[in-house]
Amino acid sequence: MDISRRDFFQIAAALGLLGSAGCATSGPKRVDDLSAGDIMGFESTGNVTLLHICDMHAHLKPLYWREPSTLISAPSLVGTPGFICGETFRDFYGIKSGSLDAYFDTYLNFESLAKKFGKMGGIAHMKTIIDAVRRDRGADNVLLMDSGDTWQGTGVALKTGGEAIVDAQNYLGVDVMVGHWEFTYGKERVMELLEKLNAEFITQNVIDNDPFSDNFEELVFKPYTIKEVGGAKIGIIGQSFPFTSTANPKHFTEGWSFGLRTDTLQSYVQELREEKGVDCVVVLSHDGFSVDQEIARKVHGIDFILSGHTHDPSPRPITINGTVIVIAGSHGKYIGRLDLDIKNKKVVDYKYKLIPVAANIIPADPAGLALVDKWYKPYDAEMNEVLGRTKGTLYKRDTFHSTFDQLINDAIRDTMDSEISFTPGYRWGTTVLPDSPIIMDNVYDMTAITYPEVYTFELKGSQIATLLEDIADNVFNANPLYQQGGDMSRLGGMTYDIKVGGQAGKRIGNVKVNGQALQDSRMYKISAWGGNLQNAGSNLREAMIKPVYDVTRDYIKRQGTVNISSDSNVNVVDYGCGCPKTGNVCS
Amino acid sequence: MLRRTFIQWAGLGLAATVLAPSVLSAEEKQKIVSPNAMKFTDALDKVTGGKKVSESSKIKLVAPEIAENGAVVPVKVDVESPMSESDYVKRIHVFASKNANSRCASVELTPANGEAYFATRLKLGGTQDVVAVAELSNGTFITAKQSVKVTIGGCG
Repeated sequence: MDISRRDFFQIAAALGLLGSAGCATSGPKRVDDLSAGDIMGFESTGNVTLLHICDMHAHLKPLYWREPSTLISAPSLVGTPGFICGETFRDFYGIKSGSLDAYFDTYLNFESLAKKFGKMGGIAHMKTIIDAVRRDRGADNVLLMDSGDTWQGTGVALKTGGEAIVDAQNYLGVDVMVGHWEFTYGKERVMELLEKLNAEFITQNVIDNDPFSDNFEELVFKPYTIKEVGGAKIGIIGQSFPFTSTANPKHFTEGWSFGLRTDTLQSYVQELREEKGVDCVVVLSHDGFSVDQEIARKVHGIDFILSGHTHDPSPRPITINGTVIVIAGSHGKYIGRLDLDIKNKKVVDYKYKLIPVAANIIPADPAGLALVDKWYKPYDAEMNEVLGRTKGTLYKRDTFHSTFDQLINDAIRDTMDSEISFTPGYRWGTTVLPDSPIIMDNVYDMTAITYPEVYTFELKGSQIATLLEDIADNVFNANPLYQQGGDMSRLGGMTYDIKVGGQAGKRIGNVKVNGQALQDSRMYKISAWGGNLQNAGSNLREAMIKPVYDVTRDYIKRQGTVNISSDSNVNVVDYGCGCPKTGNVCS
Repeated sequence: MLRRTFIQWAGLGLAATVLAPSVLSAEEKQKIVSPNAMKFTDALDKVTGGKKVSESSKIKLVAPEIAENGAVVPVKVDVESPMSESDYVKRIHVFASKNANSRCASVELTPANGEAYFATRLKLGGTQDVVAVAELSNGTFITAKQSVKVTIGGCG
């Protein structure tokens, strides 16, 4: 991972930037016979390049991130992009087993490939790719677009109130962004950070909702921006996460109203084309991959949607009604490169590549390493503390159960002495390889939010059943427009059966609490973080409220070594495997 | 600006309470049982007199897919119409298909309104369809609906 002037020239030479005068003297750094040049290799097309990142979740440093081994959805969506994983993903995109792409895009052989290929992402490595493209294309012909979920997700982000990440975005040269978790810093902090951000923040679907405000019913942010790039006029409309006010605590955005707002989206597309005369309409979105496929069906005249939120890597774009949709994974693992050929006020051709940021192969830019050091330094002692070790892989993702979540659930139930624990089905976090130390930074990677409180309270059995059904419908509704794009909440102390394709309100059965059938009229002692279940409960134990990262840290320290079973507590009755193909076929 | 001011009042819950009762004259009120107390299909029948209601792209209903707050769900109805003496929208009705009192609002219009537009906030008891019905001056009814989900909230 050391960087030198020579490394730079090697990449430049590989990309043909130095012409015949290239002065690389030895072969580039290779893993599995891949060089940085191979990874970044791209046959330039047209006059404009859009670089796209999404859902970095504040990961300034490289990390391990394992893709899901279970990604279950409503039967009609199974096997479609946004709902494929593992073998199904590999076959759908024609990826070679054991390759760098298989390592980045699937969970298959993750642990052994991790040893071979190493960590992913990191701003210093992303910057090397971005700079190479800017040099190749000419800086004025390149835009860097960020689909949001950038400011939140690590300890350093939380402790600096998002500032470290804004600094990193300025360093990377982000031009335009939208948001979701950004809003969980609260309205005032969002506005403060936007002052520091060099990029434009655009959003057509956040409206002032305070009837006493002078701006009532008016846009909070600029809905779109027009950029002149490579001789073309590109209109970019911003779409922030439509369900921020239901998925995250309302108080952070009190007075702002979200929503998909497809009617105004359509009118901005028209405005850009007819009044502003743009050559190309791009929607920079945090709707989620499947929701954006629905948007392409409902809203006409969009050329490209740069999607985010659902963390899907999509090696190939998909086209619906003439709208091309791309999404670039999560955690800084990828940079999407979209070259556009715009002629006579029309997009005549495009080319796309999802570039994996393989930190052991793509050299780091020294300024990026220095920036990371600067922001981490005050917290190094806390972040690098070894809390314990794990025997198996600790990971986040999967539709119902993942090991790092199980560890957090174990920690909460042990600490709070509660019967059931609920933890959120977010898709951000980290992966810790087997037989490795767990450091505090890893715990923050899983839990660093502005509302970390673990609440302990009581819920009636019948309420728990209703809540589970409610959450299940947010995840498994057959219409993507009614999904919120996360996974099922994680439960400690509880097992259940689910028929994913069942009717809303009738999917879940055979619910057991610590081996005993759930009783409708009995009160249960519940602990939960990251949601709003405590608002539905009674008898809140105020004295027991404690941040989840402290609860988890102390538990791991008490345990010394953790050994979490990968057995799920959920029995899916209508699917035979975690990564089914279309028609519910398991390979 | 006017539209915004109007919605602002609606947001305060005033417009809805002022407008809804104004639909019927005192005389009419005595003659009929209010659709307010009825379930959806009965209330719809009452309002249309049992006439056919057809789906139409001329009536546009704007409601959120997922309610931010089930107690105040913003709903807008916009009907494409010349609003001339011979061709106008007489009434706009809004229903919540599963609320106990299914009819939420009925608004009387005349050509003098200029456009057939109405916005209000509904209290929804749970996930259900919001249904807008427009009664045209030729006596026909057109409708549009949308499912609105009311949820405790998921996880981002």
